[in-house]
Amino acid sequence: MLLLCFIAGPALAAEDSGGESQVDTPNLLDENYLEDDYEDSREELYAIEDIYDPLEPVNRVLFQFNDRLYFWVLKPVKTGYSYLLPAELRESLGNFFNNLSAPIRLINNLFQGRFEDAGVVLSRFLINSTVGVYGLADVALQEYNLEPRLADFGQTLGFYGLGEGPYIVWPVLGPSNIRHSAGLVGDHLASPVSYLHMTTDESVLYYSVNRVNNLSLSPGVYEEIKKFSLDPYVAARQSFFDFRRNVVQQATGEETDF
Amino acid sequence: MLSSRIFIALLAVFVYLQAPAVTAETESPTEQLKPTLEKLVDILSDPSLEGQENKKKRRDLIMSTISKRFDFREMSKRVLGPTWREISPEERDNFTAEMTKLLENNYIGQLENYSGETVEYVGERVREDRAQVSTLIESEGSQYPVHYIMNREDGKWMVYDINIEGVSLIRNYRAEFKSILRRQNYEGLIKTLEKKNASFEQS
Repeated sequence: MLLLCFIAGPALAAEDSGGESQVDTPNLLDENYLEDDYEDSREELYAIEDIYDPLEPVNRVLFQFNDRLYFWVLKPVKTGYSYLLPAELRESLGNFFNNLSAPIRLINNLFQGRFEDAGVVLSRFLINSTVGVYGLADVALQEYNLEPRLADFGQTLGFYGLGEGPYIVWPVLGPSNIRHSAGLVGDHLASPVSYLHMTTDESVLYYSVNRVNNLSLSPGVYEEIKKFSLDPYVAARQSFFDFRRNVVQQATGEETDF
Repeated sequence: MLSSRIFIALLAVFVYLQAPAVTAETESPTEQLKPTLEKLVDILSDPSLEGQENKKKRRDLIMSTISKRFDFREMSKRVLGPTWREISPEERDNFTAEMTKLLENNYIGQLENYSGETVEYVGERVREDRAQVSTLIESEGSQYPVHYIMNREDGKWMVYDINIEGVSLIRNYRAEFKSILRRQNYEGLIKTLEKKNASFEQS
C-alpha cells in the first residue's frame, strides 16, 4: 500500500521510490495502543483524541475540497497522462525530479548527523547526474545498489524534538501538520529549483508535472482509502500521522534491545 | 534383552510422538507465518485461479488460508476498544462477523493487486507472548516494509495487526470507529459497517 500521496507538494525530499532498506526494524511492540486497555471506562471515548485536531471542522471541509479536486481534476489528468506516456518514461521523469531534490536530502541527513546516509545521497546524486544522464536513470541503485536515503526538514524538526502540532489539511497539498508544513517551507528553501528564475507559470508547470507524474506512478491510494474506510477523513488523518511519526522514528533510531 | 529393546522402541515412539508438539512450541513466529504467506503467493500466482470467473473460488481459498493465521476476533476486539465490553455476546459475534468481512475485503482487495512482488523476511522481535515479524515487499524497484504483529495463543502465533510503513491497520480502524462511536454510538457504527460491507457485495 503506497501512502505517498500524503507527502504533498513541491519541495518533496521524499522520493516516490519507497523507504530505505532497513536492517534495523522499528520496534512496534512497545506501542501501547496494542495493549489491552479494557480497564478503561467509557470515559476514555470522550477523552482528548490522540491526534490533536482542533481545526477539524475546517479540515473536513478542505478534505472534501481535495476529494473533489482529485476526482474532478487530478485523476482525469493523471489517467490521460498515463495513457500518453509509457511507464518507463514516467519513471525516468520521476527519477529526474527526485534527483533534483537531492540537496534537500543531503542537508537534512547532515543536520541529523546521518553522515553515512548523506554520503550515499551525494554518491547517488553524482552518479545519476552523470552516468544516469541528468538523473533520468537511477544508475546508482541499479548498478551500485545505493538505495535512496530519504530525509526532509519536517523529519529534522521532529528529530530535534519538535512536536507535530495541530493537524492541518491544506487545499491541493493535502494532509499536513504544523511541523510538516514548516518542513515543506524549509525544503523549498533547500531546493535548487527554487533558485532558478522561473516565472510563475513555469513554477506551476514544474510542480504540477511533478505531482501528476508521481500520482501516475503510484496506484490509486486515495481510492483505496475511500473504498475501505468508514470515515476517510479520519483514515487519512491517522495514516498521515502514523506515516510521519515513522519517518521521524527512522531518523531518531529504534531501540534495538527489547 | 528383549524387554529392554521393547522399552527402547517404545521410548523412540514416545519421543517421535512428542516431537511435533515440541516443534510447534519452539517454532518462531516467522517460521509459523512464512507458510501462510507462501501459500498466499501460490494462490495469487496460480493461473488457474485467475480472472473474474474464478473470483469466488480464489477468495474462499485465500480466506481459508488467512483465517488459520489471522485472528479476526482479536482484531475486532481491539478495533472496537472499550465498547467491546459494553455490548452483548450476540452483538460481539455480529460485530466480529461484519469486521471480518470488512478486513477480508480490505486485505484481499489489496492482495488482488499482486503482480509478482517478492517477500523478504528481514527481522523478528519477540516479547513474551507478542511478536513482530518484519518483511520487505519488493515491487517495481521500490521496497515497502510490512510488519505483522502477532500474539501467541496455545503455542500458535496468530496475526492481529498489519503495519505498513508505520501505518497500522488496527489503529487506523480504531481511530475511525472512535470518531463514529462518539457521534453515533454503537448502533450507528454497526449500521455504517453493515452498509459498507453491502457496498462491497454490489461492486
